[in-house]
Amino acid sequence: MTGPSDFELLELATAYALHAVSDTESADIERRVAAAPDAVAEAFYDEVRAVRETLAAVSATTQVEPPAVLRDRLLAAVAIHSERHFPWRAMLLASVAAVVIGLGALSAGLALRPAPPPSTAQQVFSAPDVRTASGAVPTGGTATVVYSHERNAGVLVMNNVAPPAPGTVYQMWLLGDKGPRSAGTMDAKAVAPSTTAVLPDLGNSNALAFTVEPGSGSAQPTGQMVAELPLS
Amino acid sequence: MSGSAQHRSELDALLARVARKDVDAFTQFYDHTRARVYGLVTRVLRDPGYSEETTQDVYLHVWRNAERYNPAAGSALAWLLTLAHRRAIDRVRTEQAATRRESRYGAANTDPPTDVVADSAILGEERRRVAECLRTLTDAQRQCIELAYYDGLTYVQVSERLSANLATIKSRMRAALRGLRHCLGMT
Repeated sequence: MTGPSDFELLELATAYALHAVSDTESADIERRVAAAPDAVAEAFYDEVRAVRETLAAVSATTQVEPPAVLRDRLLAAVAIHSERHFPWRAMLLASVAAVVIGLGALSAGLALRPAPPPSTAQQVFSAPDVRTASGAVPTGGTATVVYSHERNAGVLVMNNVAPPAPGTVYQMWLLGDKGPRSAGTMDAKAVAPSTTAVLPDLGNSNALAFTVEPGSGSAQPTGQMVAELPLS
Repeated sequence: MSGSAQHRSELDALLARVARKDVDAFTQFYDHTRARVYGLVTRVLRDPGYSEETTQDVYLHVWRNAERYNPAAGSALAWLLTLAHRRAIDRVRTEQAATRRESRYGAANTDPPTDVVADSAILGEERRRVAECLRTLTDAQRQCIELAYYDGLTYVQVSERLSANLATIKSRMRAALRGLRHCLGMT
């Protein structure tokens, strides 16, 4: 059975779906729907669903392209929360392993484990001087680096970059006063549709460059320059 | 909505992959929906800085909570835009409590609307059709949607602004949405 207050409730479904009720009234409406007969609650949420699908269609009329930097920031933030993608090898993983072993030894003797320290990526992303540089990779895809000189670290995000040719790797170089310094390599297996890597020590470098190197990488860049991102 | 039915199921499938923390699916989901989300948020907030922050919050929420999306309760696009609108409205109401919103600069300095490249054919057609349907509403109905949905007023505030009684405002809102739904062929 539906009574006058149930009809009144259904009358409010559109305003509720439009977020055109105050927070207090919204909570009150939800309580009343929960207490209403099933048929009333069903009719209420059918109306809410229909309004929301209609408004989703209406959003075609208000489209505005967001600034590109928003995409870079989001992908970097998501990379930080994603634990699956850390395929860069060399000293990056070695230094992470050293930190993990050190913490393990420290906490083994303690009754209370310390809270895990914020990851390098989290520190970069929350830094007051966080910056983003993005560039197209000539062979396809984009490379974006989110970095902070204050935190002395960066996070690289590669999107839709083609794997290096067989027998070669991509190698990252930090460019500074003292010439290029290797910051890790990536082989064909490591190139996922979206790949991220942490750059733990920027030093005074002013750019991040990529080359294609033979075998498992080189001590100094010898191969073709794929891309260069400024770290101003 | 036959034109976008395929698009809709694509988005639903992408969101299911985002729930499994698939970065590539998230990137595609963002690229397919960013202009709709940022456009709606900008329309409500009328401030590029606030709009960027809110859009970023919305997508981070999507990344963290995609598993909460229930396809039985509606499309992924409706889920996303409901979230975006809720965040934008919350922000507007917070700002209104602190300052007069009218004192901020308007939406004039944002980019003009553009299609997401991959979907431009479908969306161009959809936009034209939706715009035509919006024109079938009465001025009073359109004004109601404008004040409530885009300016963030509650139906009580709308009734005060228009000096109309609450029942009139509520029924105008219902009629406006029903009219649009009917015109768009959504049942």
